[in-house]
Amino acid sequence: MIRLDNLHVRVGTFDLREISLEVPKGGYALIIGPTGSGKTTLLEAVAGHARLRSGRVFMHDDDVTHLPPERRGLGFVYQQYHLFPHLSVRENITYGIGRTRSASSRLGAADRVSELAGMLAIEPLLDRPVRGLSGGEQQRVALARALAPKPSILLLDEPFAAVDPATRQVLRRELRELHEREGITTLQVTHDFDEALRLGDLVAVLSEGRIAQSGTPEQVFRYPNSAFVARFVGTGNVIAGTVERTDEADGSRPFRGRFTGGNLVLDVVAEREGPMHAVLRPEDIVLSLSQQSGSARNRMQGKVVRLERLGPVTLVHLDVGRLLIASLTTQSVEDMELKAGTRVIVAFKATAILLV
Amino acid sequence: MTLRSALPRVVLAGLGACLVLFIVGPLLRLLFFATPETLGEALRDAELRDSIALTVFTATAATLIAALLGIPLAYLLARRNFRGRRLVQGLIDLPVVVPHPVAGIALLLFLGRRSEVGGALANLGLEFVSHVPGIVAAMLFVSAPILVSGAREAFRSVDPQLERVARTLGDTAWGAFRRVTLPLAARGVLAGSILAWSRSVSEFGSIVILTYNPKVASIYIFDRFTTFGLQSAVPAAVILLLVALTMLVVVRVLQPQDRQ
Repeated sequence: MIRLDNLHVRVGTFDLREISLEVPKGGYALIIGPTGSGKTTLLEAVAGHARLRSGRVFMHDDDVTHLPPERRGLGFVYQQYHLFPHLSVRENITYGIGRTRSASSRLGAADRVSELAGMLAIEPLLDRPVRGLSGGEQQRVALARALAPKPSILLLDEPFAAVDPATRQVLRRELRELHEREGITTLQVTHDFDEALRLGDLVAVLSEGRIAQSGTPEQVFRYPNSAFVARFVGTGNVIAGTVERTDEADGSRPFRGRFTGGNLVLDVVAEREGPMHAVLRPEDIVLSLSQQSGSARNRMQGKVVRLERLGPVTLVHLDVGRLLIASLTTQSVEDMELKAGTRVIVAFKATAILLV
Repeated sequence: MTLRSALPRVVLAGLGACLVLFIVGPLLRLLFFATPETLGEALRDAELRDSIALTVFTATAATLIAALLGIPLAYLLARRNFRGRRLVQGLIDLPVVVPHPVAGIALLLFLGRRSEVGGALANLGLEFVSHVPGIVAAMLFVSAPILVSGAREAFRSVDPQLERVARTLGDTAWGAFRRVTLPLAARGVLAGSILAWSRSVSEFGSIVILTYNPKVASIYIFDRFTTFGLQSAVPAAVILLLVALTMLVVVRVLQPQDRQ
């Protein structure tokens, strides 16, 4: 278990503030955020490399705030791997377990190396120098090195950033399997929300040194709490505007309202009035070629600007007085014979619009 | 390749060749000026042998002291961002710009019996002026900056993240330094130490003021030249040159390929 309680870290002029987060035992949490949002600093604070100005760090209910990194019992895999260049692959992996010289511990270390090398398919590399290993190989060795001392907590800083997409897929799957097999509480940093959806039980979106939102990946993706999160996790169409009440002003909530902004006037169901963002997920937009009756309260004329095919799904870029992106199955795009310039009716329900 | 495009390269190479010849020419002339007979004779001269032994001993002592005091400082300068770091860096580099006789006079005033420091040390039995410790002090003064800057660059070339990785693998700060940074920086630190040692061996200007006798090799050569003339100074000069060349080769071998 990792619990961060209201951390404040300053690095140069950058502040990481009000960071509170709890990763349950054996959980897999991801910190996501754009470059410069403070992700790596956050990991360094958890590891004990960055000094805290305030706040506390707990691991398994122990307060480790004032413990040096070597006494926190964690493994840390850096983005650039940082293998020890003067040691062989085997020596790198045993670095954290070869400290005692008794015969039994040496035997234990040898067993652990074989076990990890087997899991990560790096046996043929063990007696090679680290110079000349490919990115994916270095990644596996760095992971084996961090796991060798059987840490109860694993910190990963963009572990797949420097490997090619095919290797990334394999490594991702292996990492998830390793996580389950070893039961390690894992905290990973990434800028890729897709990774969070695939790997994490919990995500926290970091923006300018603060946690903008945390929750399950599904929650964050479906119900972003701000325009920033919606844009960052790619929820879909984010439109700035203003909400006003259109039903009887009796103060009841939620109420029917009108959202005006981005050249659109939309029927919405709102909790409050005033300036905010409307978030509309591409899969909630329905397209038809002729005026059809339906329950959707928002209907408008639109024109297809461009089709973006992503395998079984196609993103349809629409001009409705502003750009909207709709997501359809490629099959229905073909059935409707959509192409650039096709005029369509664009419809979506008032309840499909998330106001943040 | 046309003549026009080759011309700049020819000019650059020509200019560079002039300088290389200017450095190599005199040294080759010196090497071939001595004959095996005169060199053998010189080596049989007990006074020269003693002065070379003294030079090697004092230069080694100065280098060891510089290493003991300078390597930790070099590490601090490379790794820690403390207040006054630039000032310390500038102070350490001072001896490089101070003319060596000036350094000699400054050391004489500081370590002479009449100064507080020199007087106190003399009372403890450590005499500098006209004694061996004076030679070591002068050598330390001029060579310390070379050792510190060599070691500093060696430490700086080691990625500090490697120490952080070692810490998360259970090493203390000292353990991470000993198992990661020191082995990776060792060649650079050693190369810097050898350059400092060579600088000590070649020192003349400050030693001549602080301790003329007993004579280190450079002063022995100067003494021969002024007393007996050129012919008499050459064999000793050649021997000192060969020592310097050997050290240069050792430093070159130590320097990692990728850092050249």
